[in-house]
Amino acid sequence: MKVRVLFFGATADVVGKRGVTLSLAGDGTTGDAFNAVLAEYPRLQDHKLLFSVNQEFASGFEIVHDGDELAVFTAVSGG
Amino acid sequence: MDFFELTSLPIDISDVARRVVPPECGATVTLDGYVRQFTKGRETLHLVYEAYEPMALKELQKLCVRARSQFAISNVGIVHRLGKLEIGETSVVISVAAPHRKAAFEACEWLISELKRTVPIWKKEVYADGEVWVEGDASAPARPIPPA
Repeated sequence: MKVRVLFFGATADVVGKRGVTLSLAGDGTTGDAFNAVLAEYPRLQDHKLLFSVNQEFASGFEIVHDGDELAVFTAVSGG
Repeated sequence: MDFFELTSLPIDISDVARRVVPPECGATVTLDGYVRQFTKGRETLHLVYEAYEPMALKELQKLCVRARSQFAISNVGIVHRLGKLEIGETSVVISVAAPHRKAAFEACEWLISELKRTVPIWKKEVYADGEVWVEGDASAPARPIPPA
């Protein structure tokens, strides 16, 4: 299955793009998906990261479904 | 009616404040957050704000719901600016209308603190000699994923 992983601000700068498409085996968790992203872009781990799935903060234990929208971003700084 | 918006246009503060006023209220507290020129002694030329827009709007809606359950308030309006902002320009407006002012002050302070912790918006500080995406504090709304 395929999922979309989005990046914003600092993580978009690290990765060099705003998003990637990730192919995963079935029955994976969001943690599996995010670890695959971190393995591909290890410099992301220089940052305090937050994760989301389908626009909700992720715990890492959610089951990933084909077409899900994931995101990796730094601790927020709006206001 | 609560409302929450993201915009790339300048924010009209008094318009936000007026829109939250219902007849049963006696006070509106409005926060006007704007771009500061000096942070820890370093001069900022301008800021750039970016949001994960659909998730930011969802989180703003959750904040309004949580605020209404915790404080005796009637309406909340939040508008956050995106894109490039010059020194002194308004980046965020939060207006809280309540029957009595104390709840409005408390809710407004709570809302800006929670917004800075949970709403996926980021600011880039652009200095004369470089730029940096500001990263928030460690009290994150979700724990980082443990390594496999």
